[in-house]
Amino acid sequence: MTNTVIYEAHDVSKSYGSVKALTGASLRLHAGEVVGLVGDNGAGKSTLVKVLSGAHQPTSGRLELDGVEHVWGSPREALEAGIETLYQDSSLAPHLTVSQNLFLGREVMSPGILGKLGFLARRRMEKEAHDDLERVGIAVPASSRPVSALSGGQRQAVAIGRAVSWARKVIILDEPTNHLGARQAGEVLNVIRAAKAKGLGVIFISHTLPHVLEVTDRIVVLRLGRIVRDAPTSEFTPDSLIAAITGSADSEPTTDA
Amino acid sequence: MTDSSQAISVTPSPAAEARKARAFDALTSQSSLLLGVLVILIIVFTILEPKFFSVATASNILTDWGSIVLIAVGQAFVIISGGIDLSVGAVIGLSGVVAAWTMANVLGLDQTVKGQDAWGGLLVGAAVSVGVGLLVGLINAFLINVLKIVPFIATLSTMGAALGLSVVISQGAPIGSANDFALISSFSPQWNPLSPALVVVIVVVTVLGLYLHKARVGLYTYAIGSNAFAARAAGINVARHLTWVYALSGALAGLAGIYVYIRLGAGSPSSGTGRELDAIAAVVIGGVSLMGGIGRLPGVVIGALILFTVQSGLIMIGVEPDWKKVVVAVLIAAAVAAQVLRKSDGRS
Repeated sequence: MTNTVIYEAHDVSKSYGSVKALTGASLRLHAGEVVGLVGDNGAGKSTLVKVLSGAHQPTSGRLELDGVEHVWGSPREALEAGIETLYQDSSLAPHLTVSQNLFLGREVMSPGILGKLGFLARRRMEKEAHDDLERVGIAVPASSRPVSALSGGQRQAVAIGRAVSWARKVIILDEPTNHLGARQAGEVLNVIRAAKAKGLGVIFISHTLPHVLEVTDRIVVLRLGRIVRDAPTSEFTPDSLIAAITGSADSEPTTDA
Repeated sequence: MTDSSQAISVTPSPAAEARKARAFDALTSQSSLLLGVLVILIIVFTILEPKFFSVATASNILTDWGSIVLIAVGQAFVIISGGIDLSVGAVIGLSGVVAAWTMANVLGLDQTVKGQDAWGGLLVGAAVSVGVGLLVGLINAFLINVLKIVPFIATLSTMGAALGLSVVISQGAPIGSANDFALISSFSPQWNPLSPALVVVIVVVTVLGLYLHKARVGLYTYAIGSNAFAARAAGINVARHLTWVYALSGALAGLAGIYVYIRLGAGSPSSGTGRELDAIAAVVIGGVSLMGGIGRLPGVVIGALILFTVQSGLIMIGVEPDWKKVVVAVLIAAAVAAQVLRKSDGRS
């Protein structure tokens, strides 16, 4: 982890009509840092993710990438600026092959006139897909296989590998270890470490607190639309993290929940 | 349980694996199976009625195939993208009628034109026909993308509008004889299986096949039908791509419109009625999934051939022509059932 701040949210709020989903959230992400984003359902995690990924525009507040203020008009703009987001529900097309998925939206065209006519360099993409995935520590079966032929864990690995191999600055992972077995989740955590080693800023959203405690450098806790805790992971224990999420740690005395 | 680390990560050689997978796919591919079905059908019909195996029958089948394969290819793009286009049959009628009306009333042509003028008239007619189809396709795209009407309803309403308009314009009767009959019949596959009309169809279908399977537009069509959310997240402009797909389907229906005009020698408002069902039948027989994301164009081309082989074969062995629609319906149901069975078999 370096001291360079790569992505920063200043006092970001988001309302949907009269509902305040997020109030005054400020977040700082450094290059090579893994930040865990935790909170109960409805705490504002996905709203914050949508703002950070460019899917929604904040009602107020601003975003800075590499010290430059940005207003994302669409996820595409954030994507082009170097922010990759892996959404909770599979962001892969099951009928396409591994390499087609890996290159979707950024295909390599055939050289020469064929490329100008819109034809693709399939073999080259298949080879590069294989190499790209290997580089981030994912070995999947032949990249010409359709994604639907892979296991759930392999699919998730491909989806994350895709995000990591394309991300230039920031990668946002929304519940990437959901529904995975222990070993597969372990692989995903390794990919997160690879992304960190690559110098990317990683935002890791998860309900699985052991994973968060294992892989993150810092944990940001959201409750009722506000950031209530932002501290190095070493300062948390499993119990104190749960307490921070449910709110039993500060103001209120212990409840019967 | 000797080495658990092997399960997820290690594969012997991706290249060899891919080659093996491809060889296996080629043998069991939908196209090979469909070709097998086609050959069996031809053999069965020939045994039942030896006259079936003839140039005349082949010519008949190819003539019908020529118009339907065009709209089936358009339909394949649409269905692979996760939609459906019910308007294509009606567009065949409308575009043929508008082309005939333009040639007769705007260009002032009749059957006395010969040579150069007849050629020019026919080209203008073809352009008008394709243009009308394109326009209906763009309207479909507008209804779907901008007004957010589901494709089934959007194209059902343009189907109704196109059917109605073609009757209004033609006043219910075919508009004919705007051309040199000798010229247009030289185009018609009815008199010459390898007619220019059929050659145009084959070239168009081949080019579109290359685009569907080898080019970016094709990839995006599959991606949207497979997972529109993922396609959008990957930065694909889904609305723009779907506009392209529906415009293509419309334009192909317009091309089929002039094909049918050439074949009939007239623009008839009812010439395409119900043809969308033939197209959908060819597409699903060809192995395209109505759920989107799956299917290949060679299958659709053979699917359309199977459809017309069955139809002419049944007529030749003495089945009443009125049964044709029932047969098409049964084929659609059987093809979809076969897809479902294959899927629950663990293969997709």
